[in-house]
Formats: sequence, C-alpha cells, structure tokens
Amino acid sequence: MNTIETAKLEEHMEGQSNDTSNGYSQPTLSVSEENKNSTSKPKGLSNGLRKTTKKYPDYIQIAMPAESRNKFPLEWWKTGIAFVYAVFNLILTTVMITVVHERVPPKELSPPLPDKFFDYIDRVKWAFSISEINGMILVGLWVVQWLFLRYKSIVGRRFFFIIGTLYLYRCITMYVTTLPVPGMHFQCAPKLKGDSQAKVQRILRLISGGGLSITGSHILCGDFLFSGHTVIITLTYLFIKEYSPRHFWWYHLICWLMSAAGIICILVAHEHYTIDVIIAYYITTRLFWWYHSMANEK
Amino acid sequence: LPGAMKEVVLWSPEEVTHWLTENAAPEYCEPLKSFTGRDLISLTEEDFKKTPLCRVSSDSGQRLLHMIETLKMAHHMEAHKNGHANGHVRVGVSGAAWENGFSGKTKLNGMPNGFKKEMIKIPMPEPERSQYPMEWGKTFLAFIYALSCFIFTTVTISVVHERVPPKEVQPPLPDAFFDRFDRVQWAFSICEINGMILVGLWFVQWLLLKYKSIISRRFFCIVGTLYLYRCITMYVTTLPVPGMHFKCSPKLFGDWESHLRRIMKLIAGGGLSITGSHNMCGDYLYSGHTVILTLTYLFIREYSPRRLWWYHWLCWALSMVGMFCILLAHDHYTVDVVVAYYITTRLFWWYHTMANQQVLKEASQTNLLARVWWYKPFQYFEKNVQGIVPRSYHWPFPWPVLQRGRQVKYSRLVSDT
Repeated sequence: MNTIETAKLEEHMEGQSNDTSNGYSQPTLSVSEENKNSTSKPKGLSNGLRKTTKKYPDYIQIAMPAESRNKFPLEWWKTGIAFVYAVFNLILTTVMITVVHERVPPKELSPPLPDKFFDYIDRVKWAFSISEINGMILVGLWVVQWLFLRYKSIVGRRFFFIIGTLYLYRCITMYVTTLPVPGMHFQCAPKLKGDSQAKVQRILRLISGGGLSITGSHILCGDFLFSGHTVIITLTYLFIKEYSPRHFWWYHLICWLMSAAGIICILVAHEHYTIDVIIAYYITTRLFWWYHSMANEK
Repeated sequence: LPGAMKEVVLWSPEEVTHWLTENAAPEYCEPLKSFTGRDLISLTEEDFKKTPLCRVSSDSGQRLLHMIETLKMAHHMEAHKNGHANGHVRVGVSGAAWENGFSGKTKLNGMPNGFKKEMIKIPMPEPERSQYPMEWGKTFLAFIYALSCFIFTTVTISVVHERVPPKEVQPPLPDAFFDRFDRVQWAFSICEINGMILVGLWFVQWLLLKYKSIISRRFFCIVGTLYLYRCITMYVTTLPVPGMHFKCSPKLFGDWESHLRRIMKLIAGGGLSITGSHNMCGDYLYSGHTVILTLTYLFIREYSPRRLWWYHWLCWALSMVGMFCILLAHDHYTVDVVVAYYITTRLFWWYHTMANQQVLKEASQTNLLARVWWYKPFQYFEKNVQGIVPRSYHWPFPWPVLQRGRQVKYSRLVSDT
C-alpha cells in the first residue's frame, strides 16, 4: 500500500510541476523606498525557472495572490480635507495669538522668567534672522522634495494632518497660561482693548507674513509655550529625512545642521524660553514617530 | 514510476543513474555510474570529502544524502534509525523563526508512518523557558532607576527653589482657569488624598497580580522616566508661584547642610503638602501630582479585569477630581497639568504598545517607535517577555486559601471493557 501511495505522490508532484502557477513574488519594500520614483514590478517566474521546475520536482510552488488593488491609492480628496484641517488650525492659532496678546503682562510688571540658557548665553541680536532663514530654506527644500515624490498626495496628507494637530496643541498651551516676554528687548504692539476691526487686521497681517519676524508680521507677544518656529524646523527636517533616499547622507546632514542651528539661534536670540523649545521638539518628534509607526504597521 | 519501486538494494547501476537524473542530481551520474543500489545507500559524508565526489558536489552531498534517506524510508529500511535524520542542514529556516527566541531545530520526522516522499521542514519551536519570566533582577534595576530619578527630582526642586522670583517681584502668571475659578483652600488636600487612595489601590492590586515583577518593572521605568523629564522642564525655566497664597520657605544661599535636610524631609514626606514636607516652590512645570494620579489610574485600568467597570469608573473619577482640585487650589498652572497629563499618557501608551507587539521590539525602517532615546533599555527590560502579559491573579501569601466550594475529587473510572 505504501509503495502505491508513494507512486501516487510522485505522479502528483510531477503533475503539479507541469502547470506552474505564475505567482508574484511581492518584494517587501519599505514605505520610504516606495515613495521614490520606483514602481513595484510584480516579478513572475522567469522562463528559465519554469522549465527547470519540471526537472526538479522537489521545488514547492507557493501560489502568491495577485494584487488586484493598488496599494497606495492617491485619494486627493483626503489630502484636501487634511489641508483644510491644517489651514483651519493655522487660522485658529493666529486668532489665539491675538487673544493671548491682550493678556500678556507688561514687561515692567512681570519681568522675564529665570532661564538657565539665558543665564549662560547673552543675547545676540541677529540670531533670530538666522533661525527664520534656516526655517525658510528647510521649508523650501521640503516643498521641492515633495514635488519630486511619486506619492505626493499621501505624504502631503500626512504633513498637513501632523502640522494641523501640532498647531492645535499649540493653541491650547498658549491659551491656558500666559508666559511673560522672555527678554526686555521685546517690543510688543499696544493692546487693543476690544477693537475688533484692528484685531482682524492684525490677524490678516500675521497670516500673510507667515508668522515670521523677518516679514515684520510678528509683532504680537504671548505665544511662547510652545515654539512654532521649532515645530516647523523640526517637522520639515523629519519629513525631509523620512522621504528622501537613504544614501543622501550629505543632504540629511546639511538639513540636520540647519535645523539644529535654527533651534539654537532661537534660544540665543532670547526669543523663546528653553522650555518652549524643548516641549516643541518633544511633541513634534513624538507625534511624527507615532503617526508613522501606526501608518507603517498593518 | 511504479517500475522503480523495487528494493533499493537490488537496484542496478542503470536504475541508480535513472534515479539520480529523475531527482535533479545529474552531476552525480558520472562519478556514481558504477554504483549499485546497495552502494548508493551506503554513501556517507566521508565519501563526499574525497574525490571524485568532492569535486562535483557543491554542498558536501547534503542534498543527495537527504534524498537517499528519503529513499531508504520509502523502502522501510530496518537499519534506519530515528535519530539518523537529525542533524541535517537547516535549509530554508529564515531569520524570522529565530526572532522569538525559539530554538528552531528542524526535526525531520523519522517515523515511517504517514511519510511523504517530499519532506517539508517545519521548524518546531521549543519553548525552553516560560513566556513571562520573572527576572526580579531587572525589576530591581528598574527600582533603582526610579529611586534615583526621585532623588534627583528632589535635589532639582531644592535647587530651583533658590531661583524662584519672589511673588512681589514676579506676580502669578495669567491663567485661563484661575480667571474663571477662585481659589478653594481645602481643594489641594482632596487632591492629595485621592492620590494616596489611588496609590494604595494600585499597590493592593499589584500584590494580587501574578506577574508582579514584569508589571512593577514597567511601573518603575515609566515613573522614573517621567520624573527625569520633570527634572529637565523644572530646571530650565522657572515659573513664578501660581498664587499669592503660597508660603515658600526662605532661600538658603549655599547652605548645603540645610539643603540636604530639606531634601530628606521632602523624600520622607513623599513630596506631599499634607505631610508638611513640601513647602518649596518652583516645581511647577510639570505637575508631579498629575503624573501620579494619571499613571496609577492607567496602570490600575490596564492590569485589572475588564468586567470591573465600576472599579475603573471609580478610579477615573478619583483621578479627574484630583486633577481638577489641583487647579481649584491654584497650586499649579493649567499648562502644568495639561503637559503632565499629555506626557504621562503618551509615555504609557508608547511603552505598552511596544511591549505588546513582538515586531516593535526590533528596530527597523518601518518601526519609528524605536527612535526614542530609551529604546535600548526598553529592549533590555522587555526582550524576554513574549506577548501580552495576561491579567492573572493569585493570592500573594503562602497562607492556606479559604476553601471555596467543593474540592474536585478525581476517581478512577472502572472500565468494563
């Protein structure tokens, strides 16, 4: 009986090897690799291999299910929703800054808080421009890099969502407790007690200038905890590094240096407390890593 | 082919050659062309080390020897021993099989019953040790870590106290909660009582857990790290006192002895105002009370049975009321409480997400949770814990347990057949 079993098995094996199922071997590409311009080509069994399976009946064919759906659908409408969410939060932040500005105690009444960094390093006046220039360069680099990506909509969606959430958190922390100005050099715009029209004008000015001091749009005080500049600098660096080729180490190094220099210059210019920068860095990195880990795991 | 199914020992060289060709070993046809079936089955590894076989064989004859084994089994060789099949080369065991610490020995099933001609090696996991090893040594390390973080925090509070601006010079900062709610004097005692109740409940619950060491290790790691973060945030920027009701101890300018005494007093009192140990100012960002309230609630909820929903609600209420009372007492700024809550919950969830999934315990391109600075210590602590720690409970003391219900007595069934 056993020999008959073996004979049947042999026939079965030979029969199986004859009609080889052309299965795909799915290369397991990481997300970062997918986002380059490479297309995932389904690899079928090459012609030579198919022939030799007849001669080698001990090969076991594993049928791979053919992927009928695109793994990375573009879904631009979702990106649109994320964009609206981000814009909404940016506008909310701007409104919040205007509201908080009214509550900042004057620097004569409430002197700057003691800060360890400020104790050791004196203020350098032009440092904040460096920080903002670095920020602008990083944002520019990121936009250019984003244009080269294949899966623009997915990556853009992630960027808008994360930045929207970070600015939402920023609204909350700015609003609940108002820190005094970090240095006596601050020139805060006068308070408009109840003048709504002027407030709206300020909001528009802030938005149009992108919140940067260089453009002269940021004359309002009170938005210290936590630092929006740090958020942008850190986040653009994280995105640049995540969605560019691994071997561009020089590019990553340059961006990292610009990012670090930008953050340190914020402190050197005494424009934010150290705690603002630390918390901003912490929240940005954690949110970025959390989101992407969840996005990458099934 | 049915015709080839006569005994191997009776095979002629032609049949041997035919078999070699059929089984994808044509390279051996030439050197073995004079081999009969008997010679074939008596091939050993030694033969493959000598010429001519060493020249044609790329794997020291492993595959051919394996096929010969199959052939022998197919013909019920009496000389075949079960143990002979072991020790073959582990072909096809990918790295994934080793990840979980299983020693994947590929056992070839030597039993003739149910054999198949084509052998598929299935690595059998041999769990030699428990899935949830106790490892009290690691728990002790974690305890030392938490203790040193507590002491470091106390030292930092003492240092920061010197730098708090006096409340006349630096009035309390504007706070959205303080604008709406006036100060209630006894509220902070409520907060601290709630905190103590929660810690007590958590301690009792911990005693009843079966995997005490693993869970307490996690608790110490997380609470230690939270207090370490707290040291940093307290130290870099000093917030003024949140209310004019604060009575801060006088500053000791460089008097180390008094500093030490204050530190001892703070540690002994557990940092609570109720015990009278905490009259130092400056430790506002972020709130340690909120950390303890939130963390004990998270641990209580995570490691208690799901169906005790009333217990979870009770603890949640204690926790929330405690946090509200901190603010009501004007003892911390709102941002202190918000940041403390955020950091505590995120750290707890992050740690437990990584601990519960084996795939996140290895650093890879897709696993971005591994980029935190404490990933290596985390791996050290959690690498031997395989899977989610089950919520098992047992009576912690070696006293005789009250006999609940009937003891099941087993008796031998007398079979009639």
